[in-house]
Amino acid sequence: MDEKLKQDLIGIVGDANVTDSLIDMVSLSYDASEHRGRPEAGVSVESAEQVSKIMHLANARKISVIPRGAGTGLSGMAIPVKGGIVLDLARMNRILNISIEDRLAVVEPGVVYRDLEKALLPHGFFFPPDPASGKVSTLGGNVATNAGGLKGAKYGTTRDYVLGLQVVLPDGRMMRTGSKAMKSVSGYDLTRLFVGSEGTLGVVTEITLKINPKPTATSTALATFDDLVDAGNAINQTMYSGIIPSALEILGRETLAAINQNTELNLPEVDAMILVETDGYTREETDYQLQKVMDVFQRNHAREVRQAETEKDVEELWKARKSAYAVLARIEPNFVLEDVTVPMSQIASLLKGVQAISLRHGLRIATFGHAGDGNLHPQILYNGYDPDQVRRMEAASADLFKLAIELGGTLTGEHGIGLSKAPYMTLEHDPVAMDVMRSLKKMFDPNNILNPGKMGLEI
Amino acid sequence: MPSRYEFEEKFREQILRCSRCGFCQAVCPVFGATLRPALNARGKMLLLKEVMDGRIELNDELIESLFQCTTCANCYKNCPSGVNVPEIIRLARKDMVKGGSCHPAFKGMNEVLDKSPNIYAEDDPEDFDREKNQQAENVYFVGCVGLYREDEATSATLDLLDRLKVDYTLIDEVCCSGVLEDVGFSMKDHLVLKNIEGILATGARRVITGCPYCSRTFNKQPQYAALKDKGIEVVHIAQFLQGFDFGVTTDKRVTYHDPCDLGRHCGIYEEPRITIRKIAPDFVEMADNRENALCCGAGGGVRGAYAKNSIAMARRRLEQAEAIGADIILTECNSCVHNLTNAKLRKQKFKIYNTTQFINELMEKAESA
Amino acid sequence: MEMHGYNMPEDLHYEENHFWVKEEGDLLVMGMDDFAQTMAGEIVYVQLPEDGKEIKKGKKFAKIESGKWLGKVFAPVNGKIASVNEELETNPGLINDDCYGKGWMYKIQPDDKSEMGTLIHGKEAIEKWLVADIEKYAEG
Repeated sequence: MDEKLKQDLIGIVGDANVTDSLIDMVSLSYDASEHRGRPEAGVSVESAEQVSKIMHLANARKISVIPRGAGTGLSGMAIPVKGGIVLDLARMNRILNISIEDRLAVVEPGVVYRDLEKALLPHGFFFPPDPASGKVSTLGGNVATNAGGLKGAKYGTTRDYVLGLQVVLPDGRMMRTGSKAMKSVSGYDLTRLFVGSEGTLGVVTEITLKINPKPTATSTALATFDDLVDAGNAINQTMYSGIIPSALEILGRETLAAINQNTELNLPEVDAMILVETDGYTREETDYQLQKVMDVFQRNHAREVRQAETEKDVEELWKARKSAYAVLARIEPNFVLEDVTVPMSQIASLLKGVQAISLRHGLRIATFGHAGDGNLHPQILYNGYDPDQVRRMEAASADLFKLAIELGGTLTGEHGIGLSKAPYMTLEHDPVAMDVMRSLKKMFDPNNILNPGKMGLEI
Repeated sequence: MPSRYEFEEKFREQILRCSRCGFCQAVCPVFGATLRPALNARGKMLLLKEVMDGRIELNDELIESLFQCTTCANCYKNCPSGVNVPEIIRLARKDMVKGGSCHPAFKGMNEVLDKSPNIYAEDDPEDFDREKNQQAENVYFVGCVGLYREDEATSATLDLLDRLKVDYTLIDEVCCSGVLEDVGFSMKDHLVLKNIEGILATGARRVITGCPYCSRTFNKQPQYAALKDKGIEVVHIAQFLQGFDFGVTTDKRVTYHDPCDLGRHCGIYEEPRITIRKIAPDFVEMADNRENALCCGAGGGVRGAYAKNSIAMARRRLEQAEAIGADIILTECNSCVHNLTNAKLRKQKFKIYNTTQFINELMEKAESA
Repeated sequence: MEMHGYNMPEDLHYEENHFWVKEEGDLLVMGMDDFAQTMAGEIVYVQLPEDGKEIKKGKKFAKIESGKWLGKVFAPVNGKIASVNEELETNPGLINDDCYGKGWMYKIQPDDKSEMGTLIHGKEAIEKWLVADIEKYAEG
């Protein structure tokens, strides 16, 4: 790293918070995706003022800056592709305020989701968008990808809960968006622009989040299906039950097998298993809701429909679901985890389509995901040291995206475009939309220093 | 294809299985205290992967990461891909030492144990006013930390054993040297021999250790197989005590810190609790307990090599005790006692003891009353 | 007051285990001297007893640790701990950075201030003692 630059960075954050040592450069080259890219330096920041000074400096010197939270993103949005400085926000981890009356929490971007959950619990509140990586992922990252989670179908995603932000722009200027009021339509909705922008338009340094009272009762059931299409139908028929479950997850055959190999759960190995949860304030209520959903499953040829009885069973089932992708990672040296999302009516078609793609390319594709909002996670397993398999994986990915778009869906429901889906942006977005996106990026970041190379915006 | 590295030979497939999910960040004590990705399990696996791919060398530059791990195994416990990080690191350290890269503290420890009977190179062990090397049913094996850093705690344990009329003897013990296996070196045969001889000479059927690392070493390392061959049982004091009654109680709020070497590594969670419940009706658990216990930060040689971070880790554990309003924190490991005591802030009014020390104090008070 | 490579201010009194003492009003301030701090290496822990704790001349009343060494702090006089340097709780390295200033350790309420007379004082005495200890520790 340039010595003058190093000294200038040290001048802003202190010696202990600037690193260019090998071990840091290696770990900052990766996130949870398949991508990697070496930065020139890592800088830890503790305040918005520091972020502002660093952006100002980087913009003047035209050095790229890549914001990073916990580095658990799945599409490569925290990977430095042009060297530069990784801006590590993990130390900005204070919960600044919780106001039950105003129904909001104000947090710094490095706050880990689980720590916010712990802080809200004594008040009887929770923050609904709960990514499976919530034990480690940070709220800044959740905002950057508009993280969803298992409760998405009923409670929505992160963007539905961001009331306002403090953002540092690529040139170092600081601004605020949104309002502490529960609703506002004052000026352009800049909050929504930044949420899901994958750290390419500004660095979020403070987040005001809407929070919800936490339902105290839940009921959980599982249903097995011998035919994927029946499972798909069962899912979108749930809409007709009048009930929106708080979680509706699907696990495909490969996934069930992998879970069984790695736990004592002994789940039935069928074409599809659905896990459903209903929530409320009394067991009567949640059981009532659950029964309605269970009836839908029965009507759609479920092999077995069973309510989970003990708290331990419930815990084990959800733990298994949350670790599905990493458990599947034990099978082959590499994998690619997609998160294509389609309208609910197309879920069965998507499931069948994934099966066909798997056969066509001779690769195992395990499926699981948030059936409740049409967001599947097909996981393509392959050996990255075999060039032929790599080729086939890329072809399978391309087919998957084409299929999702054909079914009226989107490339990504919650993981973001990052690097992984960048080549496919034009499948989903028309040329005018792409042009507008590029113009916006250019307006915010004329020197293209903030997290460059992402989202397929560079030609 | 054979590799020049032992870690790659044995664990290549596991290292590749690391899916970089980062879930280990939630439980790694070093990451929790430093927030530095290079120091957590994922960071270490990434380094080794790049070594295997020939992108970087296994050299001095990696010391700060690969030699800074308490081997608490919490990452392994929580890894969805089942990557055995502590074992991988253990072998990688051996490979590094073979290649001439090692943290000076451990290099020093290896040299010290060639000449000295303990890891501190001190030559003046307490004898606790007791005869050593007697004939007895049990040998009480103190361990280096108990002899040279926590002699008060050890003295209390011995007083308790006397009160319970246990037939035991101390021996001229030397370092079990198990720690060397964890930091890139190997156990010292001459030390192992001296311990085995010392134990056999007493005619004891059982060795009780004050240190869970020593009992792990005696039970698991093949160099100490002679003990098992002669039918000698090795237990940690927590296991030995569970059958006793003490006739004392405290009304203080008590919690228990599971030492990694006793808990996650040996699966001993309930025996210490059985004993504590007998003497402390107001017993509460900290947020992360049993197999989820947060490491105190002392293990794996980290207290010697990275003392500041080690104490920072202990501080995080103490915050959990503070959060439940504990008056007394009990544990079963002198290293934990030492690190937690050092980390305790003046304004924190709780006290930290080994269970044996605390019970002895209660019994002493009861007798003088 | 540089002596044989160590900073040993002549106006201070020294307890033979390398703790300096000086008067501050009615109290005495004590800390570790440059020789000891250098020998010890980076200090990672200093025991800070409760205010009011009684200390006995020549007896150990606290522990101090560096990465490789556990040391004892000896009372230079009879008295009580009046206060401690709480900064050392989170930053024990101050003893290495500034052992005579920000790295001060304890303030003592002495029973009898004249006991200071028994401590090592004056350029010649200090140098003689320092040289002897340099030799002793060099032999290791």
